[in-house]
Amino acid sequence: MNAQAFRHIGSHVPRKEDERLLTGRGRYIDDIAVPGALHATFVRSPHAHARIRSIDAGEALQRPGVVAIFTGQDLAAWTTRHRMAPPIDGLQPVEMDTIPVSKVRFQGDPVACVVAADRYTAEDAAELVQVEYEALPAVTSMWQALDPASPLVDETLPSNLLSHQHATHGDVAAQMRQAHRVVESEFSQQRQTHLPIETRGCIAVWDEGRQHLTFHVGIQVPHPYRTTLAARLRLAESQVTVISPDVGGGFGQKIALYREELAVAAIARHLKRPVRWREDRLENLLASSQAREDFVRTRAAVDAQGRVLGLELEIVEDFGAYSFYPGNYLARVVAMILTGPYRIRHYGYDVKVLLSNKVGNGPMRAPMSITSWVMEGTLDAIARELALDPVAVRRINMVGAAELPYTMATGEVLADITPRETLEAVLAAVGYEAFRERQRAAREQGVYLGLGICSVVESTTYGSKFYKSAGIPGSGHEAAWVRIEPSGVVNASCGLGATGQGYETALSNAVAEGLGTTPANVRIQLGHTDVAPYGMGSRGARGGTAGGGTLYLCAQEARAKVLAIAAARLGLADPGELRMTDGRIERRAGAQWQDSGLTLADVARTAYLDPLMLPPGMAPGLEFHLAYEPPPMTYSNSTHACEVRLDPATGALRIERYVVAEDCGTVLSPVVVEGQQHGAIAMGLSGALFEHVEYDQQGQNLSGTLADYLVATACELPKFEVISMHTPNRATPAGVKGMAEGGVMGALGAVANAVNDALAPFGVTASRHPLTPMSLRELLRGRRPGVAPGPAAAEASRPATIE
Amino acid sequence: MDQQSITLTVNGRNIEFAAEPRKLLSDALREDCGLTGTHVGCEHGVCGACTVLVDGQPVRACLTFAVQMEGHEISTIESIGEHGALSPLQQALHETHGLQCGFCTPGIVMTFEAFLRANPDPGEDEIRDALSGNLCRCTGYQNIVAAIRLAAARLREAA
Amino acid sequence: MKPAAFQYLRPVAIEDALRQLARFAPEGKLIAGGQSLAPMMNMRLARPAQLIDLNDLTELAYVKEAGEWLRVGALTRHQRLAASPLVQRHCPLLAQAAQTIGHYAIRQRGTIGGSLAHADPAAQLPLVAVTLGARLQLRRQGGERTVDAADFFLSAMTTALAADEMIEWIEFPKARPGEAAAFRLFNRRHGDYALVAAAATVECEGGTVQRLRLGVGGAAAVPQALRALAGTARGRLADDGWVAEVAQAAARQVDVDEDARVPAQYRRELTQVLVGRALGRAVADLRA
Repeated sequence: MNAQAFRHIGSHVPRKEDERLLTGRGRYIDDIAVPGALHATFVRSPHAHARIRSIDAGEALQRPGVVAIFTGQDLAAWTTRHRMAPPIDGLQPVEMDTIPVSKVRFQGDPVACVVAADRYTAEDAAELVQVEYEALPAVTSMWQALDPASPLVDETLPSNLLSHQHATHGDVAAQMRQAHRVVESEFSQQRQTHLPIETRGCIAVWDEGRQHLTFHVGIQVPHPYRTTLAARLRLAESQVTVISPDVGGGFGQKIALYREELAVAAIARHLKRPVRWREDRLENLLASSQAREDFVRTRAAVDAQGRVLGLELEIVEDFGAYSFYPGNYLARVVAMILTGPYRIRHYGYDVKVLLSNKVGNGPMRAPMSITSWVMEGTLDAIARELALDPVAVRRINMVGAAELPYTMATGEVLADITPRETLEAVLAAVGYEAFRERQRAAREQGVYLGLGICSVVESTTYGSKFYKSAGIPGSGHEAAWVRIEPSGVVNASCGLGATGQGYETALSNAVAEGLGTTPANVRIQLGHTDVAPYGMGSRGARGGTAGGGTLYLCAQEARAKVLAIAAARLGLADPGELRMTDGRIERRAGAQWQDSGLTLADVARTAYLDPLMLPPGMAPGLEFHLAYEPPPMTYSNSTHACEVRLDPATGALRIERYVVAEDCGTVLSPVVVEGQQHGAIAMGLSGALFEHVEYDQQGQNLSGTLADYLVATACELPKFEVISMHTPNRATPAGVKGMAEGGVMGALGAVANAVNDALAPFGVTASRHPLTPMSLRELLRGRRPGVAPGPAAAEASRPATIE
Repeated sequence: MDQQSITLTVNGRNIEFAAEPRKLLSDALREDCGLTGTHVGCEHGVCGACTVLVDGQPVRACLTFAVQMEGHEISTIESIGEHGALSPLQQALHETHGLQCGFCTPGIVMTFEAFLRANPDPGEDEIRDALSGNLCRCTGYQNIVAAIRLAAARLREAA
Repeated sequence: MKPAAFQYLRPVAIEDALRQLARFAPEGKLIAGGQSLAPMMNMRLARPAQLIDLNDLTELAYVKEAGEWLRVGALTRHQRLAASPLVQRHCPLLAQAAQTIGHYAIRQRGTIGGSLAHADPAAQLPLVAVTLGARLQLRRQGGERTVDAADFFLSAMTTALAADEMIEWIEFPKARPGEAAAFRLFNRRHGDYALVAAAATVECEGGTVQRLRLGVGGAAAVPQALRALAGTARGRLADDGWVAEVAQAAARQVDVDEDARVPAQYRRELTQVLVGRALGRAVADLRA
């Protein structure tokens, strides 16, 4: 288990959240009853790009039960515009209206909000709102957007190029000139959407007497959201309370303040009545943030043994029409961490992010998902080109333990990671040499197996230094409080926003460990901005390190005071003679520990109700606050292996086996971590094989229902075999590293590489996702196996010299 | 627009309310019967989150109009287990970590409470086949499958 | 997505249903399982002014023998077709196909009448009906008629049903001794509509084909019974070479619609693979 001997951290305890969720007694946004609440629905543009000429709500307003209908003009009077303008070189500043006033930029862009007694009535009325549009030509691909003559999505910008970031480290050009070979590869990732099973929704309750807004919303980042919401409404922050209930999944879609939510808040204040909105699934597919539409090209300068001497990376991303988050994110993360665990000193990148008439992008679980696919796919391409074994190419390039801490070409420092160990563990688990034998024998029978390897170095927790340099508003710190009540029970809180990650369980372990009580004695409260301390919320994979770490440290402070009080009660000069185990104070007796008879409850009672018994100068009470700034970047790592069987006649793929070796340092709750790994891998596989938000050339969204946008079901996913390793991070509390997104990165790369391995005998590679049967069949049509490139084709399936 | 009086028999109780014929069973359960454990995920019959039992068989509540259900027996998640006394399937899901955000969970529990009665000894393929009608975005399904096998084994033992 | 308003009618006998249908068609529509109609209503793609609920007409849910035919009531649920020993014995192709429809919960509600009336090009039951030469009994107020499956499916989502007609039952010719059946489909995910589906029955005597029935669904607007091809089978030796030949011919002869997402060429390739697998399975079952 964990490297250090913990009592509660790392304990395998079933989740506290489960009982209410299993019995249908959770409280999700739609479950919250607000008497008298009106229901909102939105009128949305059918056009991808159009000027709004007029909106006539006359007939709609006649319908019984309809209270009001508001347009962008109304919202403009009650709210500020959204400005996304971090001071980053190469990033254009952009603004957007709360609800579009003059122009819509994607099919589904909201133009009016109908408020009625119930949702059925609201939808009836919405159909009757007459909007006159003047359709404009639409920009529907990144290539079109790159053309300076393309129509402008944002007319305040000189072009559709939202962000252009580039840098060179070392002398890449020289390496290209001197190389034994330059290997080029392409990777095309399709547009996807987060698809939480619970769509978005919110309830705005305006208290006219107190001039206070209570806003119920499923949100990953309660405090930053509250800050933005208040500012946009021109309210003081203390006039807004954000409460996040149980949330049915977020995956990054529930971070930004969306236009619909802001509109509902402003309207509730205007009407002086509560207003609620529940996004339906069609709206979620049509108008909620999307992600991942990237085209990547690499050029690798290599020597004859496959060492990467220099690497060029080019990324073009279709960002959609609006900036729900900064457009330079990709450059700042993907480009920065791309070389991962590989020794590549000469490295340059060029990242262009384009606007188009599609939904704006939002960070989707592993926004840097393409990273590992690209790096590992490049290594596989090198292996194919040079007729080397792909594992040998990885081994020769991979940083070893003796080289850590390793500073990447971009200045990122990798410490306390174990890529070699996870690689070797996975290879041993799949039986690499035996697989190659099986593969060869199968090919002779006309059966095509493929094995893909993908190592991941996952950036989990971003410190303030990182955010500042990336231009992402906010800090990287996290805050917590721990309060031991007079009866000895513990309440604790931090700024994270729960969306299913089992925080109540994992964080209880952290508090219990730091304090010396039991997890059952700890209650974790999250999501209420009046209760929780101001924190940065849940994004990336920072829950473990930032949330767990802060609570752990805070709980340790609490323990120090508890032991000081206990020492005074026991007449001991040195609290170091005491420890607390599961709420019982023990005192040292030689080499042993003896129960002192005092409990946490006793100490708490003293602290609150008998303060004269406290050590001189000590304040009463047992309430503690702590803020923690994590290192600029924390990494965990894993290696994934995926075996597939390809049916060349139909292009069908079956995943035969999936193994991952992961090292995420100290683990707060192994149960929760395992679940996160499964879920991340599932999302990556589903994305690589099935999911696709498709727009046609007119910008019409063709993926409007769940019959069109396909996600993997229980029949498409394999069993996940997880090998857990636990090398602690020496710079974080308890050695926690965090994880939650690496699985997406690894799965994407592993299955992509597996497919190309299966395709190898046919001399083709699949570089476009999703890997549909049609697309694979397209590659295979007319091709016969055995036409493999390179002079040493016969050697290709035998391992080269292993270091 | 014209409301009519509808009486539903839910979890053994008769509940009368006024609603239009077009009101979906999923909405009627949640709003008129006060039973919010049945969740709405797509309203077009794909995700399975709204699954309830009608006369003992799993049905998507979003594809049924409440008025159609007069004269039938509806069971929702609220009738399965309770605080401190979970059903074998609920208990198994708890032990195998077969849920994360919990939004799809009631639909899965209802589907399999029925499925396991009709199929007491299912193999993994059969389980995944039946589970394919419920979408989960959090778990990757593996622990859910493990829970169903565990529950099936325990139910067989108890029988 | 909430449906548009409608008037709800719940007949207790078939005569009531027919009377209501006569009165309210074409704006009035029937609903049985609702697994196809309700999503369309929720998305407001279908907006019937009246909804006539057939679910109380339990007398229309049955499977029984009718001489040389197996007669299935229109309100029979897919799950029953999938599990019924009578269906497995007398119309195994129907049972096999029904088992592949959608998901467990969908099969509890969806009905054969609904599936046939809906006429999705990729649906299983229309394909089985056309392949086996089923016949449908259509009723309206004051009249009834029998229509061959071959004449029932006119185009995608379009059938010979008049607006005031409903399906009462469907008859499938019973399987003969010495006959095996197989159903194979190809979809993106388990439970999805098929990109292409193949249905085959082969009757042999002493290793020689007596009768082949072959159908392909999902390739074009309606399911296709490849009668001409099937007609060439009699007297042929039922071996692997013959199976491959039939599969190739099916891929060539089947009508295929072009589609932005699924190229016609791909559907032909799937046809060849699926016909080969279905027919191969049936032939292997006969040898066993």
